[in-house]
Amino acid sequence: MLVRKIKEKLFLVAISVATFLTILPLFHILFSVIANGLPVLIRGGMEFVIGTLAPPDSGLGGIGPAIVGSFVLTFLASLMGLPIAVLTGVYAAEYPNSLIGRAVKTLLLIMMEFPTILVGLFVMNILVLPMGRYSAIAGAFALAIVMMPYVAVYTEQALREIPFVYREGAFALGLKRAVVVFRIMMGMARKGMITGILIGIAKVAGETAPLLFTAGGSARIYFAGLDQPIGAIPLLIYTLVQQPYENYHQIAWGASLVLMLIFLAIFLPLRLSIKEVKL
Amino acid sequence: MNAIETVNLRIWYGNNEVIKGINLAIPEKVCFAIMGPSGCGKSTLLRAFNRLLELNEIARVEGDVKLFGRSVYEMDAVEVRRQIGMVFQIPNPFPHLSIYDNVALGVKYNKLVESKKKLDEIVEWALKKAALWDDVKDRLKDKASELSGGQMQRLCIARALAMRPKVLLMDEPTANLDPISTRKIEELIYELKEELTIVIVTHSPAQAARVSDYVAFLYMGKLVEVGKTEDVFENPKEKLTEEYLTGRMG
Amino acid sequence: MTADKFKLSLLPIASTVFGIFILMLIVFFSASLPIFQKEGLAIYTTNVWNAVEEGEEFYGILSAIYGSVYTSVIAILIALPLSISFAVFVIDYAPKKLKEPLIVATDIMAGLPTILYGIWGAFVLVPILRDYVMKPLYEHLSFIPLFSYPPITGYSYLSAGVLLAIMVTPFASAIIREAYRMIPNAYREGAYALGLTRYEATKILLGYIKPAILAGILLAFGRAIGETVAVSLVVGNTFNIHLSLFAPGYTISSLIANQFGNAFIYEYMPSALFASGLALFLIGLVVNVAGLLVLRRWRYAR
Repeated sequence: MLVRKIKEKLFLVAISVATFLTILPLFHILFSVIANGLPVLIRGGMEFVIGTLAPPDSGLGGIGPAIVGSFVLTFLASLMGLPIAVLTGVYAAEYPNSLIGRAVKTLLLIMMEFPTILVGLFVMNILVLPMGRYSAIAGAFALAIVMMPYVAVYTEQALREIPFVYREGAFALGLKRAVVVFRIMMGMARKGMITGILIGIAKVAGETAPLLFTAGGSARIYFAGLDQPIGAIPLLIYTLVQQPYENYHQIAWGASLVLMLIFLAIFLPLRLSIKEVKL
Repeated sequence: MNAIETVNLRIWYGNNEVIKGINLAIPEKVCFAIMGPSGCGKSTLLRAFNRLLELNEIARVEGDVKLFGRSVYEMDAVEVRRQIGMVFQIPNPFPHLSIYDNVALGVKYNKLVESKKKLDEIVEWALKKAALWDDVKDRLKDKASELSGGQMQRLCIARALAMRPKVLLMDEPTANLDPISTRKIEELIYELKEELTIVIVTHSPAQAARVSDYVAFLYMGKLVEVGKTEDVFENPKEKLTEEYLTGRMG
Repeated sequence: MTADKFKLSLLPIASTVFGIFILMLIVFFSASLPIFQKEGLAIYTTNVWNAVEEGEEFYGILSAIYGSVYTSVIAILIALPLSISFAVFVIDYAPKKLKEPLIVATDIMAGLPTILYGIWGAFVLVPILRDYVMKPLYEHLSFIPLFSYPPITGYSYLSAGVLLAIMVTPFASAIIREAYRMIPNAYREGAYALGLTRYEATKILLGYIKPAILAGILLAFGRAIGETVAVSLVVGNTFNIHLSLFAPGYTISSLIANQFGNAFIYEYMPSALFASGLALFLIGLVVNVAGLLVLRRWRYAR
């Protein structure tokens, strides 16, 4: 009996330690980003958020173009991806037993786990190469592809969770299917769908790999046009970390803090207002 | 000495008092039935006996439960459960384990035998006692999920019996079984009560009348009447009891 | 009929997903064609990177395939015990007030921009691993092949594996946690009623959800192998095939990320990199489909 009790206590210790180890990195990362990034933001002030990048080894300048770029890219990606994603989710929810409906559901789940670097490569091949240069359109398209599965899956789930009686009621009123779905059911599924959309946005705002060979990055120009290269915060951080200059590393930390704040600002309220998240 | 005694037992789920002060004495080596309408706390009461209630975070217990004169709260919960076996409303053999492993499970972990040979013997004995041996003796390694509902329940009985408990708790054991399986298990109870104390919760007064020696009628958490089965059924002392037995109450 | 019209009008849009997927397959296959025609399967089986502007270009990404598998295996070896422990702790042991915050914390970790893992990995994790883990192990135990590479910078398979483990554990534990939570109460009660201790009962119940654990690990492996940015900042980006944990190496994704910048100067490099992407595509597809199948089949069997 004693041996069993000892095993019991050891087990408790072991899984407590493991739980701690699982969570610890989050706090360490949060702490590191704040500890390294805050001084940079304070030193840089407003200029950091608005201005353009400084030359190597001489000060901070700003990450303005990257911030603008991130917003533009996310916005464009949403424009491109959301309608298709929502409608795909609607189809999967309305026709769950059809061949295409089932296949789409599976495909969406697969694409959620798809290596995002490959999405970037794909878009590079079909947009960047023919156009001859990096562009905002290419970057946004890559992000749209990454975003779509999430939004579609959440939309489908939200629609499926509406109790059947409401559908019956709507049809009993003699409404056409399109009206039932788009006016009545989507209204009721509002919360779930908005959650999905925001999750998708939060995800692509932080993506780097799809942008590596599509958006091109831009350190000095805020927005040159849809068919021109554009910056993004994650992309900028990635580039700067690999540079040998100390000031660029500091800018990277500052940009990381900005990115982290943006991400948490979208994600935390979202996560705290729903019960579970599919990531 | 009584097998189980409760002393002013009160049980709450959160703020809801489900058992409101019960003093029960269950004699040894009998079949003792607890009957009453659904939701009156029978299953809860049963789970207080082997301290299984503690798995529920919002359950709170006041008063005492004694097992052969000793308070169960003075013993380790694991020890209490070793001496008391339990069979549930939904047959729950572990589907991913074999028939053999299911029966051997409690014995193995509680280190009740020293050798594999002894373990084999106990498994065979328990399965025979549960009237399942002939059905499964050639396929002990098969997964438990391949048995029928009635067989699964008898497997659970074997699993409990293998531990040689002095008390066997049964929470509506035949509620989800067909009439033939039900009868087989009731025959089992008839045999087993010669050797150990059986406490059976049932929502069917007819079943209580068939298998039990003593019966207690529980209504909304209170003990309305208790006594020898023949006495209670033929001459119920309380009006409530009579209403229940004649089917005027669900 | 109205219903059919609705379906028909949505159909092309819903099929867009298919279209994109198939188009991706086509692009990867056709862009890889040149290197296949030139080298056959040697692109995958040799470790060579001859990027020359004149003369014989030759590419073999064996080093990257090795590195991808090696680092992902390290990752799931660490993630497996951690994610199971976390799931059990949160469901069975954690005080009520801790449950939700713990789950929210792992959800944040699962969604956190990977570049943040990358910069932390490169500037914080690697120095720590190098100074407190690799250097001591190398000084005292370098006769063991696993520890036999001198850890100079710290960029290594180990660093990448550990960082990947940190990144995929929350994901795997979410799957396992959900399965563990949904075990029918009847089995929980049954295990305890037999007089099992918490530890023993947990072992039995975990056995019950083995398929879910397998699925969690497969999907975590798929995620680890596809991760690009964080890994490329800590793995060292060197064409190695070394047994030691402390050696730097390449993964398929970091190879692509690292080399594509200057790929177009050379005639065959882009094609080689697309072939790498194709390999990653296929490995990821197999692993993720396997994981989803295991999960789906287990759910229906209950």
